[in-house]
Amino acid sequence: MKESNLTKEENVENPGTSPYSTQKARIIGERQMTTDSKLFTLELQSGERLNHDPGQFVELSIPGVGEAPISVTSSPTRRLDSFELCVRAVGNVTNTLHEMNVGDSVGIRGPFGTGFPVEEFQGNDLLFIAGGLGIAPLRSLINYTLDRRDEYNDLNILYGCKRPCEQMFEDEVDHWARRQDIYHEATVDFCPDKVCWDGNIGVITELIPGVDIDLDNTYAIVCGPPVMYRFVLEELDEKELPHEQIYLSLERRMKCGIGKCGHCQINGAEEVLYACQDGPVFNYERVEGFEEAI
Amino acid sequence: MKPKVAFFDFAGCEGDQLQVANLEERLLDLLEIVEIVNFREVISQKSDDYDIAFVEGSIATDHDAERLEEIRGNADILVALGSCAAIGGINSIRNSQDPEKVEERVYGEDADKVEAWDKAKAADAIVDVDHYIYGCPIDKDEFIHVVESLVQGKEPNIPTYPVCVECKMNENVCVFARNGGDKSISSAKREVQVPGSQEVEQGPFCLGPVTRAGCDAKCINEGTTCWGCRGLVDNPNQNAHKKVLDKYGLTVEEVLNKYNLYFGWQQEERKDE
Amino acid sequence: MKVIDKSDFDVFVDNLIANDDREVVGVQEKDSKFAFETLQSADDLRLDYDVTILPPKKYFMPQRETLIEYNLDEGETTPVNRVVPRIILGIHPYDLVAIEQMDKVFEDTHEDPHYLEKRRKSVLVGVNMENVSDKSFAKTMGTATTDSGYDIMLTDIGDMYTIEVGSSKGSALLDKAGSAIDDVGPEEIKKVKQFKEELSEKFRTDPKFDPFELPSLLKEYYGKDQFWEKNSEDCLSCGTCNLVCPTCYCFDVQDINDISLSEGERMRTWDGCMLEAFAEVAGDENFREEKAARYRHRYMRKGRYMYNRFGDIACVGCGRCSEQCLPDIADPVDIFNQMKEGTS
Repeated sequence: MKESNLTKEENVENPGTSPYSTQKARIIGERQMTTDSKLFTLELQSGERLNHDPGQFVELSIPGVGEAPISVTSSPTRRLDSFELCVRAVGNVTNTLHEMNVGDSVGIRGPFGTGFPVEEFQGNDLLFIAGGLGIAPLRSLINYTLDRRDEYNDLNILYGCKRPCEQMFEDEVDHWARRQDIYHEATVDFCPDKVCWDGNIGVITELIPGVDIDLDNTYAIVCGPPVMYRFVLEELDEKELPHEQIYLSLERRMKCGIGKCGHCQINGAEEVLYACQDGPVFNYERVEGFEEAI
Repeated sequence: MKPKVAFFDFAGCEGDQLQVANLEERLLDLLEIVEIVNFREVISQKSDDYDIAFVEGSIATDHDAERLEEIRGNADILVALGSCAAIGGINSIRNSQDPEKVEERVYGEDADKVEAWDKAKAADAIVDVDHYIYGCPIDKDEFIHVVESLVQGKEPNIPTYPVCVECKMNENVCVFARNGGDKSISSAKREVQVPGSQEVEQGPFCLGPVTRAGCDAKCINEGTTCWGCRGLVDNPNQNAHKKVLDKYGLTVEEVLNKYNLYFGWQQEERKDE
Repeated sequence: MKVIDKSDFDVFVDNLIANDDREVVGVQEKDSKFAFETLQSADDLRLDYDVTILPPKKYFMPQRETLIEYNLDEGETTPVNRVVPRIILGIHPYDLVAIEQMDKVFEDTHEDPHYLEKRRKSVLVGVNMENVSDKSFAKTMGTATTDSGYDIMLTDIGDMYTIEVGSSKGSALLDKAGSAIDDVGPEEIKKVKQFKEELSEKFRTDPKFDPFELPSLLKEYYGKDQFWEKNSEDCLSCGTCNLVCPTCYCFDVQDINDISLSEGERMRTWDGCMLEAFAEVAGDENFREEKAARYRHRYMRKGRYMYNRFGDIACVGCGRCSEQCLPDIADPVDIFNQMKEGTS
């Protein structure tokens, strides 16, 4: 029976239009960020630009291992022919990527999803609140706004990590700290003895009261581990920042990236959201009724 | 360098190592990615220098425990191969019975000389186990998947869902619906022929709903039933499953007997939690 | 409308099996149940079946399907789309409705050629339900009959089948039956009408709801945690209700390597939102850890979310989930009735 199947099977030519086909990208740079995170610079073999918006993600494919959704951490305003992914080694794909070297190739699909509404932000104050690896998607937007500095008002960056050694993009963070036109504060939950740290020690919510928030024209942009959101959002409520002026980037296991596989659905009484299509960047007012969102 | 692999056996039938030996030409492919330094069923060589140790069989004596600890000390990665090592397996049937009677029944007059523990244990009762290959015997494809994953430094992908998933994908008629069985009729107890024999027993029963998948529902595909050889899933809904078995007319005692065939050790572990 | 004698229909089917390039599949008996399987002879075709174990979606979205082949030594990946063109015989109206819904899913946003090519290259031969399974509530869901979704549609009126043609693909298929096809007469039209009237008496379930109420009932019940906990208490998290559902399409993607680690395939496999690990993300976080949350999600999908997205109630009333759920907790009629009674 199987044989008769074989004879009647046809391979469709040129399934290259398949949304599951990957394009090759070469690793052209690699930098250790923390003990378990690395920054990879990639370039598409086709020579084309990735053409992503800040906040969008790609599916990173390593044949023989699998795929993982990763936010693009570089700004589309920089690196015209390459892009950067900041990756923590937490699973098969990311562990394998960490073992790879400059010159090696991976597969890329995307960019996918809805990023930050950069045009809506124009002319407003922005308050970035990043926890841990949450800095990766925010960095794309931070650098985007820095490169179009005159389109945005006050920029405030709050960045929290567990400990000083987990702070990423140190050179850029230093640069933000030095710039006169940015308010920047960093905090760590804990600082071991003998480690030099001149920032705050404590949870990230402690930094929020220090920010001068103009309620009429400030957008807060939050990204961090699931546990961080609740506390940060409570603190922003203290400040009475309207929920429609808060944006979140939510992590889910987007398997397909194109709204089909079902894994990244966030359900609520009204409707279901697809993190890979409607997100990963969501307006807080839109998702706050969704029990599974935060 | 190819990782060095060693096989060891404890209380068990060595059926899992036999499955590996039965890979035949694929065993040669396997040798492309690993070097086998200890494998009693295939080679005579012996070595204490290995990276990955596969241990088969339940742990049932002090000597077993010492030897297992030694293996753990030598190996970077320790894999429990087959149900006896992974979940206590069929040896743990005796765990719920009177040890003296068991010894007498098995060894008769020599029962005094037996040094076995009252309970057969899974390997992880003694040492840390890094990976588990379930099954009695193991599934060859899953074994290959695990080896291939370990060589690549990946976490093997072992199903967390029950056998029903694979059984449905294969479009089997559910064991409980065979021969016109209707689950909406309570106490549908009836005689079913024990597959592969002339014996008849009360049934139907199937442990698929609480047993970890990964076997492609082989036994049900072949017209028999699931005896649970791959052990319980992480969070089995045993109450619901027992209600199902009750609906089909199995007595409490019969259900316990079915559960004890492979789940003996896991059941005790769950009680302790 | 056309007609064909049953004996001529058998000859027609046997001719297709022998001569058509496409694989001919149809409903056949499997133990005491029914399943779509490759057809060896028209004698094996059971157009009087009640319901199949799995819906025909398996032909467009196979249980396991290769998306990409790769060669690890050379670092090459090749997208593949293996399509077996098929003539599928004996699809009931509710399954045709389900296929139309699935089409929308795979056409939406990014088109999915793996599904769509298989759909395009298949001919769907529907058959009106002669027998109705114990758990079916297709009548309530408005899917006991359908005017679309088929290439041709058969109705058994005794010695012959009447045939409605739904597409050019269908009429091309019918051409192969040649002179065996006759025009329908008034007598036969009357018999079809009678067939459909009798059909509506054959349903044995007792739904107390109207399908158009489901989106609002579900919205109202979403937050009633106790309701979901109580109803899901005996859930085995076995995914049966997902896997046998004609409108479930969630999938997982895995790379399967050959033992030499030189080549392999990226496969998509069926998945289900009732399985424990479905909503897990990296770092062991699980957004739907409790079975009640997963159980609720399935009903929300069927009765509300898909309606929001595509305007369809994604339950066609086939009754497969309730028939095949061992602890008997997956019956949509029971759940929706409870909701309806609880609110009225």
